[in-house]
Amino acid sequence: MSMMKTKKYRSQSRSRRAGLAVTYTILTILGIIWLIPILWIFLSAFRCEYQEDGTFIGIVTSNFFPRAIGFENFKNLFTASYYGVEYAFPRWMLNTLIVAVVDCLISTFLVLSVAYCMSKLKFKLRKPFMNISMILGLFPGFMSMIAIYFLLKSIGLTGNPEHPEYSMIGLILAYSAGAGLGFQIAKGFFDVIPNALVESAKLDGCTNFKIFRRIILPLAKPIIIYQALMSFTGPWMDFIFAKVIIGAENSQYWTVSVGLYSMMFGSYPDPNWFTQFAAGCVIVAIPIVTLFMFLQKYYVEGVTAGAVKG
Amino acid sequence: MGSKVKNAPGGKENKIGFFERIGKAFSNFGKRFVDGSIGTKLSHFIFGAGNFYHKQYIKGAIFLLIQAAILALMIFCPTINNTPYGWKALANLPLTNVSKGGFDPATGEFTTGSDCKLMILFGFVTIAVIIIYFIVWNLNIASSYKADMDRKVGKKPTTFKEDLKDLLDGKFHVLMLTPTCIAAAVFTILPTAFMIALAFTTYNQQDMNEIGTNLFGWNGLQNFTSVFTGEGSLGVEIKNRFLPVLGWTFIWAIFATLTCYFGGIILALLINKKGLKGKKIFRTVFIMTIAVPQFISLLAVRNLLGEYGPVNALLQNIGLIDKPIGFLGLDMKDSEILAKVMVIVINMWVGIPYTMLMTSGILMNIPSDLYEAARVDGASTMKMFFKITLPYVFFITTPYLISSFVGNINSFNTIYLLTGGGPTHLGYQAGGTDLLVTWLYKVTIDQGSYNTGAVIGIFTFIITATITLITYRRSKAYNEEDTFQ
Amino acid sequence: MKKVLAILLAFAMTVALLAGCAGGNESKPTSGSNDSGTTAPTQSGGDTGKGGTIRVWVGEESAEYYQKACDAYLAANPDFGFKIEVKGMDTGSVAGTITTDPAAAADIFTVAHDNIGKLAASQCAKPITDQSLIDQVLADNPQSFQNVIYSVLDGQKYLYGVPYISQALVMYYNKALVTEEQAKTFEGLREAAAEANTKAIIVTGDDGYNNSFALLSRKVSNKSTTVKIFEGAEAVSGGSKGTSYCQGDDTIATFRWLQSYFEDPNGFKWASPDGWEKDMKNQGALAVISGSWNYKAAAAALGESNLGIALIPTYKLTKESVEGLKDVKEGDEYRGGTFADCKCFMINATSDASKYVKEQALIKYLSGKEIQNESYLEAMNVPAYVGAADFIKQCYDEGKVSESEYNLAAMQVSMAEWGIPQPFLTGTLNTYYYSKNTPAIFRAIIEKSAYPATGDKVIQETESLDGIRKALYLIQYIWMHGVNPKEFPATYPAET
Repeated sequence: MSMMKTKKYRSQSRSRRAGLAVTYTILTILGIIWLIPILWIFLSAFRCEYQEDGTFIGIVTSNFFPRAIGFENFKNLFTASYYGVEYAFPRWMLNTLIVAVVDCLISTFLVLSVAYCMSKLKFKLRKPFMNISMILGLFPGFMSMIAIYFLLKSIGLTGNPEHPEYSMIGLILAYSAGAGLGFQIAKGFFDVIPNALVESAKLDGCTNFKIFRRIILPLAKPIIIYQALMSFTGPWMDFIFAKVIIGAENSQYWTVSVGLYSMMFGSYPDPNWFTQFAAGCVIVAIPIVTLFMFLQKYYVEGVTAGAVKG
Repeated sequence: MGSKVKNAPGGKENKIGFFERIGKAFSNFGKRFVDGSIGTKLSHFIFGAGNFYHKQYIKGAIFLLIQAAILALMIFCPTINNTPYGWKALANLPLTNVSKGGFDPATGEFTTGSDCKLMILFGFVTIAVIIIYFIVWNLNIASSYKADMDRKVGKKPTTFKEDLKDLLDGKFHVLMLTPTCIAAAVFTILPTAFMIALAFTTYNQQDMNEIGTNLFGWNGLQNFTSVFTGEGSLGVEIKNRFLPVLGWTFIWAIFATLTCYFGGIILALLINKKGLKGKKIFRTVFIMTIAVPQFISLLAVRNLLGEYGPVNALLQNIGLIDKPIGFLGLDMKDSEILAKVMVIVINMWVGIPYTMLMTSGILMNIPSDLYEAARVDGASTMKMFFKITLPYVFFITTPYLISSFVGNINSFNTIYLLTGGGPTHLGYQAGGTDLLVTWLYKVTIDQGSYNTGAVIGIFTFIITATITLITYRRSKAYNEEDTFQ
Repeated sequence: MKKVLAILLAFAMTVALLAGCAGGNESKPTSGSNDSGTTAPTQSGGDTGKGGTIRVWVGEESAEYYQKACDAYLAANPDFGFKIEVKGMDTGSVAGTITTDPAAAADIFTVAHDNIGKLAASQCAKPITDQSLIDQVLADNPQSFQNVIYSVLDGQKYLYGVPYISQALVMYYNKALVTEEQAKTFEGLREAAAEANTKAIIVTGDDGYNNSFALLSRKVSNKSTTVKIFEGAEAVSGGSKGTSYCQGDDTIATFRWLQSYFEDPNGFKWASPDGWEKDMKNQGALAVISGSWNYKAAAAALGESNLGIALIPTYKLTKESVEGLKDVKEGDEYRGGTFADCKCFMINATSDASKYVKEQALIKYLSGKEIQNESYLEAMNVPAYVGAADFIKQCYDEGKVSESEYNLAAMQVSMAEWGIPQPFLTGTLNTYYYSKNTPAIFRAIIEKSAYPATGDKVIQETESLDGIRKALYLIQYIWMHGVNPKEFPATYPAET
């Protein structure tokens, strides 16, 4: 009897090990496929090839693996002037960091507050508000770019030659303003928090504010981190809206994605900038990838909450 | 709306209909004027007067300030780019009172002509301001009337401090929703209204003429009918390309959603396989595509698959092909079908990690006794996948499926960055892989045909909104939403 | 109620914000000027902020130099009264930036002259009225430029643009694979391409500008062409669009020759969608037709030592291309043409009137011959004035510029003799020429593909003489009317 059992167990574990081996193989192949494009940018960033006459090759090439590597591109990237801005790349990075941090703070606060109201408070306009906010998100955004530009201009926050730096405030506003309407994922998360918790606190005489601060927020760490991560990474990825709001002429206040995008897709881009562009991409990607890696758990929880409750 | 004021807290009337409420509100206005104190009566004309009467100075000052600000805006009509706000903006809305501008060579004084797009935008802002004026007007009367009532029953009118405190409790949602409402009004509702309005105008930079493109007029429904008749600047294009683009948009959305969805589930199953080591490493690898900005990663893909990219070079070196393949259909001679397949495949590269992450969480939550029971019954792994895993995941993620379908309809980045809509169809803006949303971008931002673009935008909106509303209202999440409360 | 209150308060605060800020803005300059006719400037918004600075936009590559030039000007004119700020802008998209929000643009900006009509019509630019500046423009510039820098305001013809840089299409080629002799003719290039088993030459785009090499090609013997584009158009209100014509036998023959050269395995190649510089780098083609704005890109692709610069080559009409045509015969030699353009300074319409006089003085200085010459030496801008070729030659002889820098300038100047400036006096002409799909028709002819002429009519046979004639008629009609014709005429060439 026991012999039989171990035998069965053994064969089971053997087939299981075979299954695992297949899984490892598949995952490794898929992993390579997934990494190739990113590896390509990474390798290009470290590419350090020269023509016979000594000029640097900064253009896209057809050989996947570089013939020579070095830090030339990074050195150039950090010291060169682009679009009339000295030390443009570090500046753009700083601009983006500022925009991203402030946007992250405001957006996360807005999302949490709206989600909390929608999930745990009862009031008359709740359902209409939910429906309207869902529908508003469905209009394609490009058409409103001009409108937003001139609305911001009306309060001096863009198209303001005397204070071009204000357009960064305008950009932060434009980014974070709509955030509150994207409350659905956070609401899904709050919905799972038992109402009994809230009710009992209320019986103890807690104000809604106290409940939010003392009970909800401590429980909401995953969703706070998820929202913060989402709104923090947004400005690093947007290359259309930011250029319209900040203005083509204020290149010193561009975000890094506008700068990088223009380096490759401007009217007359310098193709010799490609490897520098790649270096820029690597620099931009490093902090974001790191953040994602460390906050993966929360990201998964956030996405799952969103999926379950839509 | 004002009816709740005198009945104060309670909320018995939650169930009355909307129109009934409006009717009641109107009757209330009269009542409050007749019944109210002298302060309340004055409040009908001077905001905050009632609050001052009740010694609620701060509140009164706020109301008064708002009235002053709005009236100043209405009367003085500040201008931006020579276009006024205020009453002049209202007068401008018919777009008939336009000036061509003028120049005085002697002084160099240049008066810019009217800018109709700003006239519409600022007119809408002014209308919004007027609506706000009346809302605040009502609020200020209500606030004063409430103080009247409090006095009548012997209570002291609330102080500003008490009002603030109430904001943290009974009116907490007021405090919390206010910023979002402001933001939504300014950055979403107004621009959207503006966009919709453009669909009814002749604003089109392709119709450049002597007076420029800043002067244009209302056009009724003509832009919508041109979808069928083929008239107007982009008429032929709309007539001949609208249906193909719409069809492809749907095909794309369906395939993009399903491939990423099932691909993600399978990947999640693989990664979460029992006994697999290095789960975290694998997951991190796949997360890279989410973390790297799309304009970078998709550009890399485009480079790799380009005419002189490493993929073509490799295929040529090993002799599989003798001419480079146009995988992405950027050129009009490239195969459109190949391009369509490629964008869907590459989109899997972008989208699968999302679903993988999401389903990972769900898979871990599947009650293990379900599997145990099945195993006892001798079910194969395949069978368990189709009978337990898939239905369970599917059940939970329906809302996600819907939202990702709608998201794919509006998937701008993938198409714009990969193919730019190519392969080109000679004589048209809309290329072979253009979705409605990238077509819209070309038509408005590249071509400046704002009215046509707005029409396409409205159609896109109608489609996505219908799908969302129908499916969402039927979904479990929506219908059972209240049970959580 | 409370819920409503929430939303209401929200709106209220918006208003307060809007009213507050906008109102504040208003109280400064505008309030009195409505009808009282005070001297207060009528402009608002951005302008009030520009204060004591005149902002100048030039091309990115020359910003550094022009800032230096302006500083020198200020040092020489201490009573100028304004600071000057120079900023480099992407010249390809600057016109769009200005049109979106002129009030946010610089006081003086640089655009290619073909935008003059558009910018004038959109009221983004202010006419130039200073007589001494006008005199300088008329004295310095060739007649061809003088024809195209005017536009119309309020029914009046005004000078709008002051040329200071000229540019034309040239050919860049791979010196490693093409000899100087081969680079002189399309046939020679094809020969070199056959040896290298590749394509001869890249056409960077199928837009109306890059097409100009074919459309404007001229007979070598007398530099003539029958093509007319808005010739004699008037820059006055309701003025005529002039004459346009592109149905001549030489044009038809050229397009037939193009068809065969495109079909040739060693002939033309459209630029790779990944960028023409990748074609050059990977020897997908040996040469490219482009302008000075792409000099850096070409050098990046080939390496500076391998980069050759030449005139656009000549070609001989083949027997097939002249078949059935009267005015051309086999062996006639033609040279590819070009739009020979200039970049101009313009004054922003929303710029404060108090700056007007100084702005014109500054433009007069910046567009003077000396500064143009200096800008050639420092930023490789080809001067626009008559006789600049001598200076360019002289600089080369004195060793002030490198050979390729000299070549680039000299070839552009020579090419200018084979072309015309884009004749778009009003915004309409520009739009009709570029935006109404005529470039797609060119491409249809060249590739012998069908073209949707009107809603349901399609030109199927762009291969046959009749098809080419139809297509050319279509192009000409669109230039003149901005729309497709309802019917095709029975005989060609036909009136449009």
